[in-house]
Amino acid sequence: MKPHARRHTVRTAADASAAPGGRPGVPRRSRVLLALGLSASLVLAAGCAKSESDGSGSDSASDSADQGGQVAVEPSPGAKGCTIDSYGGEEIDLANATVGFSQSEKEANPFRIAETASIKAEAKKRGVKLLTANAQSQFSKQISDVQDLIAKGVDLLVIAPLNSDGWGPVLKSAAARKIPIVTVDRQINAEACKDYVSFIGSDFVAQGGHAADQMIKATGGKGEVAILLGSPGNNVTTERTKGFKDRIKEKAPELKVVFEQTGEFAREKGQQVTEQLIQSRPGVDGVYAENDEMGLGAVNALKGAGKKAGDVKIVTVDGTKNAVQGIVDKWIYGVVESNPRFGPLAFQTLETFTEGDEVGRSILIEDTIYTRDNAEDGLSRAY
Amino acid sequence: MTTRTAEQATAGLGAAGPPPGAARRAAATAWLQTYGVYAGVAVLLIFNTAFTDHFLSAENFRTQAVQVAPILIVALGMALAIGTEGIDLSVGSVMALSTSLIALYLGYGPWLALLVAIVGGIAVGVLNGSLVAFIGVQPIVATLALMVGAKGLALVLLPQLRDVRDEGMRSLGSGDLLGVPYPALIALALVLVVGFTVRRTTFGRQLLAIGDSRPAAELAGLPVRRVLICVYVCSGVLAATAGFLATARLGASDPTALGNLMELSAITAVVVGGTSLAGGRVRIAGTVAGAVLIQLLTATLIKHDLPPSWTQMAQAAVIVLAVYAARERGKR
Repeated sequence: MKPHARRHTVRTAADASAAPGGRPGVPRRSRVLLALGLSASLVLAAGCAKSESDGSGSDSASDSADQGGQVAVEPSPGAKGCTIDSYGGEEIDLANATVGFSQSEKEANPFRIAETASIKAEAKKRGVKLLTANAQSQFSKQISDVQDLIAKGVDLLVIAPLNSDGWGPVLKSAAARKIPIVTVDRQINAEACKDYVSFIGSDFVAQGGHAADQMIKATGGKGEVAILLGSPGNNVTTERTKGFKDRIKEKAPELKVVFEQTGEFAREKGQQVTEQLIQSRPGVDGVYAENDEMGLGAVNALKGAGKKAGDVKIVTVDGTKNAVQGIVDKWIYGVVESNPRFGPLAFQTLETFTEGDEVGRSILIEDTIYTRDNAEDGLSRAY
Repeated sequence: MTTRTAEQATAGLGAAGPPPGAARRAAATAWLQTYGVYAGVAVLLIFNTAFTDHFLSAENFRTQAVQVAPILIVALGMALAIGTEGIDLSVGSVMALSTSLIALYLGYGPWLALLVAIVGGIAVGVLNGSLVAFIGVQPIVATLALMVGAKGLALVLLPQLRDVRDEGMRSLGSGDLLGVPYPALIALALVLVVGFTVRRTTFGRQLLAIGDSRPAAELAGLPVRRVLICVYVCSGVLAATAGFLATARLGASDPTALGNLMELSAITAVVVGGTSLAGGRVRIAGTVAGAVLIQLLTATLIKHDLPPSWTQMAQAAVIVLAVYAARERGKR
């Protein structure tokens, strides 16, 4: 331990002798300013940035926001719906209402970008006033976001929840004002038609099942496949895994899952893990990536290992432009779409509900499957 | 018999020191601290040769070399910072910033993009160094601030993944010279440069003197502040270079994921390699071995398809072992 006080006096002594190696005569404060100036110039320099010309247009998610709205799966007969009478509250005219939208994560990936763009586009189309907030992946922020929206007097809420749990206080304040809530893409642990109206989202287990169907078709139902798992402890990961494995077990017992490692939904991790996989198991027949990004990482790894397109069958979930392009390029066999365009269906549901008609409590959407047959046409629809 | 004589010898050296058992243990941990990392690498190599299919292939070693390159490059800068009794937590965020800047400037070609990324690394390094040297902020706090700030800036500049289409840039990540991949070659060159700097230059000596005792270095009239700033600038430049290579290899700029937890891997490599957090010593060869050890450990667990959480626990075990060894010996 060095005594602090002493160190301080020593330093001032050294100062007085005008640091031989430094720039003598430059006072300390201006050196700090120099440092700040350097970093400021860096920020300013971003102004003359020049990125690569955008050939494929893969960055623009918004231009396809109008297309490819979701289609709900027909509700199974006997499933109970929800009406405004059973929920409580009064009929309102959606056209004059204010809708609040609380997004969970930063719009930093194609899914979130397309989701928010779709909600905004639909609100604009219908001329509905929309207030939005983004929780930046912090649940406490999302809670206060929604409470802010309520305080600002929204009539209806659309929430893309970050978590399933912890919504009690928010639901209570919404219920006090009888604000109908629709949750999209993730469910919350509460009672439909009492705490909130309905949930609109994909069936992740079914997505895993569709992916398994593609993999069985690609491999002929025989051989060894690897799974690139999503982030651990995420319900999307567990459900997409369960759906895949159950379907394989049921339909193609000769197809063996020999490798399961997490790629954390990121391209770099997917690439690194696949590189290790392809070294130790060069004979692997297929790779199931639980999102497109990891699948694209796997493509990188296979290219690097000198494999040819189609040598290893890749099936992914999400339906981003890059992945669908991968099918056209023959590196990816199939992509199960997870449709992020909640706008039309969410507003449709709110409209039906506020007009006093019945809506489903859990509205599952139909996910398209991209294969070699429809990939080229699908490119304009992919997000 | 032999153990007894060894015991007597060490006890003899310890003069009025600890009882013979403790002396032997101290000698063992000292050995562990110096050579443990090489032993660990050797054990993993032997294990994999015996039990991992297709481990002994040129292709496999190329893969491991390419994957370890960014960790190693970042760890070199970290070793310098730790040598001054500091630390640089901002390295992962500098990689993210680097990849964002590259995406924004790639229109001018890869080399100018690299230059801009390095300027970004220098800027972060100057800020880190100024906070530590002039304002007297603890390195862990100063670089924590930049860790958060640089990541934020990276995401402001480029909020989402963007593909790299420049073929020259991509081939830097995937090409090779006489079978050795470019990223590995660049890492090797940087190891030699940093190793030479630490061992043979005035700057290296000054850096170690500051790590040993900053007040003494100041009394001796060393340019303490300038050296500290240079150290953090070096770390920033190395991290930016690692970000460049990782971007080239991925074929995309992904500031949301690139560099995540890189500071932990780098600190692990340095500490496992036998560099003491107390400063005053930098072991470059040990750092290289430390990075290789982490890479082999990860590769082994993945290749044997063990649950991913095991990788983290195994890394934790290695860190604990390394820190334990360092504790017994303490600061030299």
